[in-house]
Amino acid sequence: MPPKEGQASNYQLSKGATVKNHAKKHLTKALAVAALVPLALTACGGGGGGNSGGDASTLTLMDYYNNEPDNLAIKKEIESCASEIGVKIEREAVPGKDLIQKVLQKSSSKTLPDILMLDNPDLQEIASTGGLVPLEEFNVNTDGFAQGMLDAGTYEGKVYGLAPTANTLGIFYNKKLLADAGLTPPTTWDELKSTAKALTSGDQYGVAFSAIATYEGAWQFLPFMWTNGGDETNLDSPENKEALQLWKDLVDSGSASKSVINWSQGDVKDQFAAGKAAMMVNGPWQINALNENKDLEWDTVLIPVKEAGQKPVAPLGGEVWTIPETGNKEKQAKAAEFISCFTRDSTQLSLATQRNTIPTKPELADEFIAEKPDMKAFTEQVADARSRTGKLGDGWPKAATTIYTAIQLALTGQASVDDAFKQAAKG
Amino acid sequence: MTSQSLHSKDVVIQTPRQKPTARKRSRFDKETITKILFVVPAGLFMVLYFGYPVVKNITMSLQDYTTKTFFTGEAPWVGLQNYATVISSNLFGPAMLNTALFTVGSIIGQFVIGLGLAVFFNRRFPLSGFLRAMLLLPWLLPLIVASATWRSILDQDSGILNQFLGTFGIPAIPWLTSPSVALIAVIIVNIWVGIPFNVTLLYGGLQDIPEELYEAGSLDGATGWKAFWHITWPNLRPVVSVVLVLGVVYTIKVLDIILGLTNGGPANATQTIAVRSYQESFVNFQFGVGAAFSNILILISLVFAIIYLRANRRAVDE
Amino acid sequence: MTTAPVINHAAAQRNKQLRSKGFTVLGIIFLAVMLFPIYWMINASLQPSGNTLNASLLPLNPSFAGYEKAIADQGANLVSSLIISLGTVVVTLVIAAPAAYALAQFKFRWISAGLLAILIAQMIPGVVIANALYAAYNDLGLLNSYVGLILADSTHAIPFAILIMRAFMTSIPASVIEAARVDGAGQVRAFFSIALPIAKNALITAGLFAFLFSWSDFLFALTLTTTDDIRPVTLGIYQYLGTQVSNWSAVMATAVLSSLPAIVLLVIAQKYIAAGATGGAVK
Repeated sequence: MPPKEGQASNYQLSKGATVKNHAKKHLTKALAVAALVPLALTACGGGGGGNSGGDASTLTLMDYYNNEPDNLAIKKEIESCASEIGVKIEREAVPGKDLIQKVLQKSSSKTLPDILMLDNPDLQEIASTGGLVPLEEFNVNTDGFAQGMLDAGTYEGKVYGLAPTANTLGIFYNKKLLADAGLTPPTTWDELKSTAKALTSGDQYGVAFSAIATYEGAWQFLPFMWTNGGDETNLDSPENKEALQLWKDLVDSGSASKSVINWSQGDVKDQFAAGKAAMMVNGPWQINALNENKDLEWDTVLIPVKEAGQKPVAPLGGEVWTIPETGNKEKQAKAAEFISCFTRDSTQLSLATQRNTIPTKPELADEFIAEKPDMKAFTEQVADARSRTGKLGDGWPKAATTIYTAIQLALTGQASVDDAFKQAAKG
Repeated sequence: MTSQSLHSKDVVIQTPRQKPTARKRSRFDKETITKILFVVPAGLFMVLYFGYPVVKNITMSLQDYTTKTFFTGEAPWVGLQNYATVISSNLFGPAMLNTALFTVGSIIGQFVIGLGLAVFFNRRFPLSGFLRAMLLLPWLLPLIVASATWRSILDQDSGILNQFLGTFGIPAIPWLTSPSVALIAVIIVNIWVGIPFNVTLLYGGLQDIPEELYEAGSLDGATGWKAFWHITWPNLRPVVSVVLVLGVVYTIKVLDIILGLTNGGPANATQTIAVRSYQESFVNFQFGVGAAFSNILILISLVFAIIYLRANRRAVDE
Repeated sequence: MTTAPVINHAAAQRNKQLRSKGFTVLGIIFLAVMLFPIYWMINASLQPSGNTLNASLLPLNPSFAGYEKAIADQGANLVSSLIISLGTVVVTLVIAAPAAYALAQFKFRWISAGLLAILIAQMIPGVVIANALYAAYNDLGLLNSYVGLILADSTHAIPFAILIMRAFMTSIPASVIEAARVDGAGQVRAFFSIALPIAKNALITAGLFAFLFSWSDFLFALTLTTTDDIRPVTLGIYQYLGTQVSNWSAVMATAVLSSLPAIVLLVIAQKYIAAGATGGAVK
């Protein structure tokens, strides 16, 4: 439409001309803005932190306890150990899932903290890079710790990290719902299936667990897989398939929601707390949140075994504390002193009590259960619990990916239970 | 000023393309320098904040870059091996397809709804400015909050959407739990996130179409749909093409929404190239492979960019 | 019809008013649909558990625990976010506007190359930029500084702002600018006195988006800060998300609170767009 376009330019021409009248005002405004910029730029420069030099009176520390009540409990213990060994500690608590990214960044810029907390399955990955120092170089005593925990902290025969407390998985059950139905908590897979079925009605499911496509999903599957004799070194085994069949049966029978494939462990806790699931697979770190709901009565039991008489094998969770390779021997020695203090008996008990975790020295179990009777089921499991990286080391992430992918394939019907592991392994 | 603007009008109408050549030649050097100074700050910024990372990403994709590299700085050169790994992986095909479906679905949805709302709000009625401002709200939500909220809305059992659909007798839809529906759900959420962007830009474009055109058009009988096709659409074209190209470029690399809603599941049904890139780098710590994935992503968007520039040039030539 | 023009006119007027009220109602309905997820978030923020599993449509038993925590923790972070976002707007416009003008009006041979570079810039995943910047900032001492974050956040906005302002500025006829030049104005003056005023709406739009991009940035906030000195509110929200325990009511409450200052700014900015539009119509 040529004539209309002509109109357009005519119009804009006149618009341009009138706008010009206001030009002066705008010019001054723009200049004012331009003048402000360098001012703002110089006014707020700040220094970043390097930590390689300097004396050992101040140590830096990084962890991911950025949420209450963990944050305060950890802070208190850090401060008490710091004053005991005579150092000042600058702590940085980062959002959990970004810890590894921060660690990698800091290592590339040579600004690793003097003390670093790692989630235990990540330790071997980081240790394999040469970024950590073996604790024995600084005479940290590693006696008396649960073997699973030491396995998790060990890379190529040397201990790189120690944990003051650990956690694991168990079954939480809603006391009222089970009592109303005249049921007792399940101890075998068959009981788990029948109990869950009986507790399913309306918008209430019998059981909830996390089968999400992340390491959380793999972690929740491990107790079923290991207890049945399965192993991460041979994923496509009959034992692993039986465990997968159990989860598949629970979902297919409607005893567990189809949404489990998207639920994180936090979501599972929400379902349980809202009364939408009568039982759940979860860990003791949820206890504080569960206790906020005054109407909710719950208790815990061990993860059921396939057949009565089998010994349950639970996975070991928890964070290990390590000394990064910063090149400053003096500071590393102080950091070692700190870790010894932070993992000693009294710290273990204090942290375990406040955070609902379990001391990593089995000899403290009795004392701990006496103080926290509701932690009995979890404490019993930790002594023999198994670490995720014990067998595969830094090959664990790949195995975990295969596990959660297989779970997803089977539960959504994209693959049969028989084919799921094989198909998932192809990546 | 008045005389000047009158004068300028005269000049333009009589000799629109004629330039005072003598003057131009005498000022050539100074003028060129001034012109270049206009782009220097932006150019500098681009080199520092984009050029450097891109070069780094390309070299990374040619190396065996793992966690170890961050500590030791050593990353052996492996040539195109990372790309071979990427293309031969089982998930590459489905991820490509999902990326295409996700991008096309999102763009169509965002653009059509966005344009509809922009045209609607282009009329002046009480509260229109306020309502339009409120429309930007979804943008203010951190994506993790948006995806958490949507997850609760889309929940198969207790989600409000299925409850709402249930009152019409529609059975519960497994939005996020069925591999065949999850991608659609993710697209719906991404459309929701992208609407404010589309509305605002298209509205800005509509506002710049002079009222006179419509007045003149209505004299010729062009109203309603006719006015839209013959006046609005041609005049909106430059803005539309920018919106669409930016839409593709932004959508193709969407990550947070998918991670927040499905994490690439169920059963890898929502894996895209961006998700693969993230998971290889930050879940499997294969930074070289992750970089290769993101370079493939950049390459795909590059094709779009070139198509856009070609089309743009043709439009200018016309 | 021609017999009673006066009555007809009044009827048309009434009809018009009715129609415009109808549009308002329709607009509210559209908005309600679009904003329902946000309402659902507010509803969640008032639930004691921070989730809506058992929630009714209305928060009948509101708990303000999340808000108490959020207000206590996040006040300073909101100010940080505001400083960073406004700084980003200024930096973006100062850098992008001249470049947009140049790309729209100058006949450089390499304009296509420049545009291509800008488009490529938009395609780079943020993580790639963030990781590269971290190392550079660490050497330059720009970590934990407003300058560093403002410049980094500008990467979200500058390429976009150039493209969008260019799209609007190309519609300024070259003749208008030429005319000013004939009157003896240099390129700089032509830019300030002709191009910028005409492209006012585009400037506001670009500024608005620069603000929004920066306000919602999480990636740079996470990677380029190592202490608590400067903590944008998005990072504040993430701080509530632990690996093991997440405080959703505080997260949701913070999200609601962090929307408030931004809403105010949006409404103000929209007013300016509307003012610009009416100014053009009235002439």
